[in-house]
Amino acid sequence: MTDLLKLYGTTFDSRLLIGTALYPSPAIMRESVEASGAQIITLSLRRQSPEQQQGKMLWDYIRESGCQLLPNTAGCKTPREVIALAEMSREIFLTDWLKLEVIGDDYNLQPDPYGLVEAARELVRRGFKVLPYCTDDLVVCRKLLDVGCEVLMPWGAPIGTGRGLLNRYNLQTLRERLPDTPLIIDAGIGAPSQAAEAMEMGYDAVLLNTAIARAQEPVNMARAFRLAVEAGRTAYSAGLMLKRQTASPSTPTLDMPFWQQADTATQE
Amino acid sequence: MTDKNSPRIAIAGGGLMGRLLAWRLAQRDCNITLFEARDFTTPSGACWAAAGMISPLSELVHSQREVYGLGVRSLELWPDWARQLETESGKAVEFRRAGSVLVAHGRDRSELEHIQRELAGKLNGDESAQVRPLDRGQLQQLEPALENFEQGLYLESEGDIDNRRLLPVLLNILRQQGVHLRERTPVECTPGCVEHGEGKLRFDCVIDCRGLGAKGQVEGLRGVRGEVLVVETREVQLQRPVRLLHPRYQLYAVPRSGGQTVIGATEIESEDMSPISVRSLMELSSALYSLHPAFAEARVVETRVNCRPATMDNLPHVHGEPRLVRVNGLYRHGYLLAPALVERVEKLVMQQCLQVA
Repeated sequence: MTDLLKLYGTTFDSRLLIGTALYPSPAIMRESVEASGAQIITLSLRRQSPEQQQGKMLWDYIRESGCQLLPNTAGCKTPREVIALAEMSREIFLTDWLKLEVIGDDYNLQPDPYGLVEAARELVRRGFKVLPYCTDDLVVCRKLLDVGCEVLMPWGAPIGTGRGLLNRYNLQTLRERLPDTPLIIDAGIGAPSQAAEAMEMGYDAVLLNTAIARAQEPVNMARAFRLAVEAGRTAYSAGLMLKRQTASPSTPTLDMPFWQQADTATQE
Repeated sequence: MTDKNSPRIAIAGGGLMGRLLAWRLAQRDCNITLFEARDFTTPSGACWAAAGMISPLSELVHSQREVYGLGVRSLELWPDWARQLETESGKAVEFRRAGSVLVAHGRDRSELEHIQRELAGKLNGDESAQVRPLDRGQLQQLEPALENFEQGLYLESEGDIDNRRLLPVLLNILRQQGVHLRERTPVECTPGCVEHGEGKLRFDCVIDCRGLGAKGQVEGLRGVRGEVLVVETREVQLQRPVRLLHPRYQLYAVPRSGGQTVIGATEIESEDMSPISVRSLMELSSALYSLHPAFAEARVVETRVNCRPATMDNLPHVHGEPRLVRVNGLYRHGYLLAPALVERVEKLVMQQCLQVA
């Protein structure tokens, strides 16, 4: 396969990243990871007393999946908390990959752009490979790149809402203005069609958790997302046709003058 | 009373499973020894920290169909068992079958709809399960304290039991039945044999229900931390367990006698047994406050922390081999699953005793 996802110098076949929380059981979680084909999985440890390694049982179980682990800093609200947790997770999981989350609003878990940039700067200095969960604001994204992030993960919608790509205009702008940066839609994806939509727009990958974990059949939903991401990516690579205002027959319509035919063809 | 031909059975673990099994098997003329690593008056396991809900439907939302099936069976058994226990002990265990109410605040209202859909899907047309939508008036009638809510759901069939009454009652009955009670005795279980600090003891059958104490003997067994808050007030009283739906938390408030309310429970993938965290305390207390503002003046009388024993599939496990039965992984469903599992284990044990004889 030649169409690989490249993040911080490592390549992956799969363009679907998934979270490991909220499943009916750890066993169903691991089956879902397998069915999704994901090679990168996120996990959180903020509330699990990482100092004492009391969640070790489950971490080992997650580790056995063989995926690249992407520890996150969910639940942190200040750069100081983030950095302490990041150092701890690097030690526990033996990886410098980090999904950076700095939460600015407790209710919809919206990222705090100021804290994000500050934390990212320090984490990059400390040698972390930072994948920041950010809003779809172009300027914030640029600042994150300026401080050394090589990958960006803008939201589609707030975490857990399943509302899909709420601001297509902003997301399209990001894609066009940052053509060489790997962009991953993180959060807000509720349906496979939305994941496909993000991939069709040229996003490099999609990260999600709730839509699979809370489905009535998580394993089947994981498979559905795998197929959708593959479909969206393949469609993007194949070049999507432009939308037309009216149906345009593939053979000329005899009773319509040719100049009018040309007119309809150029309308978008 | 037992004679010298009665089967000799050891039960390891004096929690809910251990006590119920000892009680039931002693009724069948078995000679029972119950071992507990700590002491019997304040059990160290999840059964003492729990809120005692018996709610197969509410739990079905985030669990698997198997748990629901066992829960429904337990709900059939509890009323009879509670009556028997009360008759035998002369004390109340406060088994209540008043259903449970689910509510959500305005901005989380879609959670009610989500749960209805989720249940409909998982129940697959099972008519016996009753989920009744409540409008403001109906909700007020059932739960006058919930005046801040516009709508809710009523799960009529559900129940709960006061575990802080039930466990001591069971202990007293075991004493009356002549069960040998060995506390502060940590043991290891092998077929037909219980090993403790001072040596080995032989039995016709050994039942291992030590919960997290059986770590290493049950594959993938882990602890899932839960934190619970208990408050007391005369100002506001719920009538039945109430669940507050939220996109990320599953919180409930269970009224107990004496003006107490038990609020729980967090669910954290950790085996940490240290005291409740500030964050969890805030989550639990703000959930309670949002049910009714008068709870703000309630007094915090207790916080409880424990770890639920769970296997990687979060389902209960009963494993039988000659002279040894292990039961574990009741997770967050102790009171919901125990009677149905006791029935299963009883059957296994009796078969084994017949073979041995």
